[in-house]
Amino acid sequence: MSNYRHIGKDFVPPDIVGKVTGKAKYAEDFSADGMVFARVYTSPMAHGRVTNIDTSAVLEMDGVVGILTADDLPPVEAPNAPMLTNSPAYVGEPILAVAALDEKTAEDALALIRVDIQPLPYAVDPLDSLVVGGPDAREEGNVYVRSREGSGFRTVKWTREQIDEFRAGKEPTGESVSEWSYGDLDQGFAAAKVIIEEPFVTVGYAHMSMEPRTAMAYWQNGVCYVYGSAQSQSFMIPGLANLLGIEQKDVVLISENTGGGFGSKIGAYPMMALPAWFSKKIGRPVQLRITREQEYYLGSARVGFQGWIKVGFAANGRVTATDVFIVEDIGPNATGGDGSSAGEAVSIVYDPESMRFRGVPVLTNTTPRGAQRGPGQNQIAAIMAPIMDKAAKELDVDRLEIRKINAAHHGTTVYADQEPVTSAYMKEALDMGAAMFDWTGKRNKPRRNGSKVIGLGIGQGYHSAGATGYDGLVRITPDGKIHLHSGVGNLGTYSYASTTRSAAEVLKCGWDNCVVHHGSTEANLPWSSYQAGSNTSFTHQRANYVAAMDAVNKLKEIAAATLGGSAADYDIADERVFRSGNTGQSMSYAQAAERAVELGGAYSGQTWPSDIHEVTQRAVQNLAGSGLIGVAKDNLPQEGVIPGFAVAFTEIELDLETGKYEILDYVGIAECGTVIHPQGLATQMKGGAVWGMGMAGHERHVYDPQNGLPANVGYHQCGVPTYLDIPSSMRTGAVDLPDPQSPFGARGIGEPAMGCSVAAVTAAVADALDGHVFNRTPISADMILNHVAGRPQSFKPLQTNNY
Amino acid sequence: MDLATFKKDVWGREVILGASWDLLWLVVVAAFVIIAGHAIVMAARRRAPKPSSEGERIVRHKGADRLFHWVMAASVLVLLVTGVFPIIGIEFPWLEIHWISGLVLTAAVLFHIVRALFWQRLKCIWIRGRDFRELYDSSVKPGKYSIAQKAMHATVTVLVLLVIGSGLVMFALIDTPWWDRTNSISEATLGWVFLVHGLSTLALIAVVALHIYFGLRPEKLFYTRSMISGWISKEELAANHDSKRWSPGESSS
Amino acid sequence: MASFDVMPDMQLFQPAALDDALNLADRYRENGWLLGGGQDTYGWLKDRAKSPQAMIDLNGIEELRGIRETAESIEIGAVTTLIDVIEDARLQRDYSLLVSAAKRVASPQIRNVGTLGGNLVQDARCWYYRRGLDCYRAGGNICYADSPQGMNREHSLFGASRCVAVSPSDTATALVALEATMVARSVASERQIAAEKFFVGPDTHITRMTSLKPGEILTAVRIPAKWADKHFYFEKVADRNAWDFALVSIAAAMSLDNGVVTNARIVCGGVACTPYRLHDVEHAVLGKSLSENTATELQGLASKGARPLNYNHFKLPLMENLVRRAMRS
Repeated sequence: MSNYRHIGKDFVPPDIVGKVTGKAKYAEDFSADGMVFARVYTSPMAHGRVTNIDTSAVLEMDGVVGILTADDLPPVEAPNAPMLTNSPAYVGEPILAVAALDEKTAEDALALIRVDIQPLPYAVDPLDSLVVGGPDAREEGNVYVRSREGSGFRTVKWTREQIDEFRAGKEPTGESVSEWSYGDLDQGFAAAKVIIEEPFVTVGYAHMSMEPRTAMAYWQNGVCYVYGSAQSQSFMIPGLANLLGIEQKDVVLISENTGGGFGSKIGAYPMMALPAWFSKKIGRPVQLRITREQEYYLGSARVGFQGWIKVGFAANGRVTATDVFIVEDIGPNATGGDGSSAGEAVSIVYDPESMRFRGVPVLTNTTPRGAQRGPGQNQIAAIMAPIMDKAAKELDVDRLEIRKINAAHHGTTVYADQEPVTSAYMKEALDMGAAMFDWTGKRNKPRRNGSKVIGLGIGQGYHSAGATGYDGLVRITPDGKIHLHSGVGNLGTYSYASTTRSAAEVLKCGWDNCVVHHGSTEANLPWSSYQAGSNTSFTHQRANYVAAMDAVNKLKEIAAATLGGSAADYDIADERVFRSGNTGQSMSYAQAAERAVELGGAYSGQTWPSDIHEVTQRAVQNLAGSGLIGVAKDNLPQEGVIPGFAVAFTEIELDLETGKYEILDYVGIAECGTVIHPQGLATQMKGGAVWGMGMAGHERHVYDPQNGLPANVGYHQCGVPTYLDIPSSMRTGAVDLPDPQSPFGARGIGEPAMGCSVAAVTAAVADALDGHVFNRTPISADMILNHVAGRPQSFKPLQTNNY
Repeated sequence: MDLATFKKDVWGREVILGASWDLLWLVVVAAFVIIAGHAIVMAARRRAPKPSSEGERIVRHKGADRLFHWVMAASVLVLLVTGVFPIIGIEFPWLEIHWISGLVLTAAVLFHIVRALFWQRLKCIWIRGRDFRELYDSSVKPGKYSIAQKAMHATVTVLVLLVIGSGLVMFALIDTPWWDRTNSISEATLGWVFLVHGLSTLALIAVVALHIYFGLRPEKLFYTRSMISGWISKEELAANHDSKRWSPGESSS
Repeated sequence: MASFDVMPDMQLFQPAALDDALNLADRYRENGWLLGGGQDTYGWLKDRAKSPQAMIDLNGIEELRGIRETAESIEIGAVTTLIDVIEDARLQRDYSLLVSAAKRVASPQIRNVGTLGGNLVQDARCWYYRRGLDCYRAGGNICYADSPQGMNREHSLFGASRCVAVSPSDTATALVALEATMVARSVASERQIAAEKFFVGPDTHITRMTSLKPGEILTAVRIPAKWADKHFYFEKVADRNAWDFALVSIAAAMSLDNGVVTNARIVCGGVACTPYRLHDVEHAVLGKSLSENTATELQGLASKGARPLNYNHFKLPLMENLVRRAMRS
């Protein structure tokens, strides 16, 4: 444990009381004078073209204030998500909106509007679209390629034989559109003693944000005020300005609390901008409350995989070669990238000596996809864990050992370009987890009790965990308060507050004297990263560090200017700046702040560093003269991939007669550098574990392929695990060794916390079933029952979006 | 009153659901009015002397044809009961009885068609121009079948073929011991099939009611007897038919 | 499509006396909606998939609430909450089968407000039907679930007739096993209906799941004393352990004489549109003791005659396994 004052210590984030008492305000809780309520009319069919909209029945309806259609909005080029469309590409895609004095009137009006849509062919399973003659999800093509060389639609078709062979588990021979590799694959497989080759499926599923993407907006003096639900805060501004067609300076985003985003509210999204456009048209504040059901249509979902993987192992268990092919289900808006990320995760977690990734992202007429906690990394973690165990069994190597042999360490090079890592302690994490879980003891326990069988699993999760180049902003006011301005979104992890504690650490101040500002552009927030990709802890610890360092330097300079000597002669402690070796010659932060205001210039924000983002510049301008301003862009050196790791150990008891299993024990270990907020980390690890358990056994999209209809339009049908589907207690720990490229040693952890869990559970199920691998998530009771009874599975091989 | 009812298809578009069952009451009332009207008119008329059923017997309907008629009658009645009673609120497991009866009716009709085409004189049931003279010239007597009987046959033929045709499509769309449901036609088409089935059923209810009524009328009762036992008397023949147009052989019994 | 998230306008009645409720039910018939705990109500109404003219709230009627003992039976008012059923000492002692079933209904929150009557008369959970599609059950002419590509993992194995939805009620299986009687009142009459006859399949009535007619109110459930304190077994297998419907459940009531079964009623939920009695198993188990051997002898009887759909054949081994567990109990 460190000797830090704030880092590594629990604290009460400022929004806790509001969340516990119900006083916390979410987007839906805000209103404005004269506000009207909008509702959206959405596509009932999976793919079509609007041929006529007849609103005559509602135009004169009492209480109806206005109607907004795609024709009122700037055109959006496919496959980008429009706010409203005349070419719907999934069930539930918004076509028009009605505003009324109350929601019931708006709803009544929707029922009277007649929209004629000409149906077009649709696909809900990528392989059905990939086969020759199969339907294309978009008229422009069935594949969308995003690459540095250029992005665009493609039409890629495989022959029936190629699809059949893929389904049969053979190496895909159809065209791929992206590929990377390193090392000598052939040589790697030649050196292997055991080669495991498996087809696999991970079914996509909803992000399940409890707070639907509701938004309210109005215009005042050319400035658009948007009350939205967002994962990020400052990062939303450029995108939102772009969606609204205005300058960044004219956008105010208020998002104090967010009821979950999970990757679906990272950047500005169309539904957030819709009320603003509507408000512009009718001249009144507009609130658009997205319903629970609509959130499942347009609220984003995890990318599904249909893939094939071949892994070579040397006699000692070392992975010599890995060949991965992934068909990605990227929905109608071509959002994804999960496939390549999965390949990258393999390259670091199992560190194969040689590797190839090939992928083809296929469009489907299903819920638009978005990054979901560990997008790609967590799907492949679930598939890889049982494969590692299968190899361990064939090689007669312990399942823990095979992971340690391949564990990432400081010298590991990763990804296509074989980049270095900032640090990696995977082996330490495995050892710590094994000890806490009592791996050896549990492995030797009896396994069978009547119809119940014990299964043990080890899972490893990964996501890159940091970014650089964002801004920090701190301020000391003449009343002695330390204001920590956080442009980090309040997505539920408290990282908006916990990362500011590195500024408090640098300023050596008490937490009680700190005020965290967040949640609104008007709170004058610095330019910050997206709250996604597990990056915030690393990124904003650095940004807060550099801002606080700037403040410390200014404190010293002010002290020197006031009390004599040079800045280098001064030090800080107890919210005072004093001459080293002579604490009597000092001034309080409050006095220094007052002096800063008098001195002006950079000290009080009249000038600012030229390299800070325009968002930060505006914040500084607004704050200028109010105290001592510490502001800087994170230009600290950084090199290599910043990894976040987690490992999990789990024990399940699987009932062969019901196909159900109970998770008896769960240990999750974080490897995220220095722990900065222990309670926050423990909660992340447990929350991630629950999510992983949901992915492993419950959550999935179900689409009726005959009609293109989704079955998952509510909590119940989506199968999120309940409190009785998870262990009553879970244990967590952290390696807690610092990363050298972080001022206080912290890296991110959000996503791996889930990946390790889903992997541990799929491995435990395979273990309970004597090593049988389903190569699929979720593994549901029916699959286990059919397997045990020796019956075929109900779905055809590689089928997706089914039960 | 609408002929059809409507529903939303799986994508929310309006399609036909089937016949409007409000029409059932219209049909029942209309059939009753026609029957009552006819009965009153007939009661007011001077009754012609009833020809004797004694004496020589003439074969009017062969055994196979009688069997067909009654099999058809029974299956149609069962079909109407199983099809319509649940709609008017009398609940019982009707579907299996309904489709089995439907198959019986289909088989009977096929048998009849084959028999009629290859072994019987189709002409005797065909409506021809001169038949219409019967309607205004009481001296003109029909051959084997009066124009009314021919019209009834033609109407029943059309309705039964419609109801069988639509019924077979519907049959293909339910689970049976031989196949699983296919749901292979569009809901719009399905609606038309249900509409045809429903409307032809409604028409059949009226036609069957009239048929039964005429079959039970005193002056026509000998026809019903002939459909049971096969024969009519020579006197009945002479009174109702033109022997030049129909000269059946004598019954062997 | 519209958003489907706002209740339509309707008249709300909150009668305090049963007679008033019966009059209202009679007045509104098909256009009236009986409100118990509301757990199967608000989804339908907010989705606007059902639009009654009037809602008749039964919660204020005291005589519909509570558990009473009579000479030959125990009577449970229809509006008694599931939590009250679960916590009743007499039911725990004599009819633990019902208590076990009630405990597995949904979630604690739902059991606190959900009523026994509501659990029994709840509508089918087929996702196509719940979507508000005009399928057979909604008065249409098609079943989307039973089509060549229909997603029908939760649907029926037995007794399907055009509609393939299953009975979702956990307490229904227990009450059929316990030979309960349902009391249905209308303005004109009181009917006592055997639980087994109370639930009707789509072959008889495709748009209703019970024999309750418009205008009738389920007022009480009576469980005969003959089944008091017998040997019971209940198990429900669902995807989730809370807030889920049975993939398959089993409720078994057995009289034992010296360990030998002298009478048995064994019912499965989640496999047919009504609670499905395993007559062959009941017959075969008579005269046998409860054991693994008996379980092995009964193998194959439970799922005999099943007609699996595209995605639900796993229910066959599950049924068999649950019978096995009941025999082992």
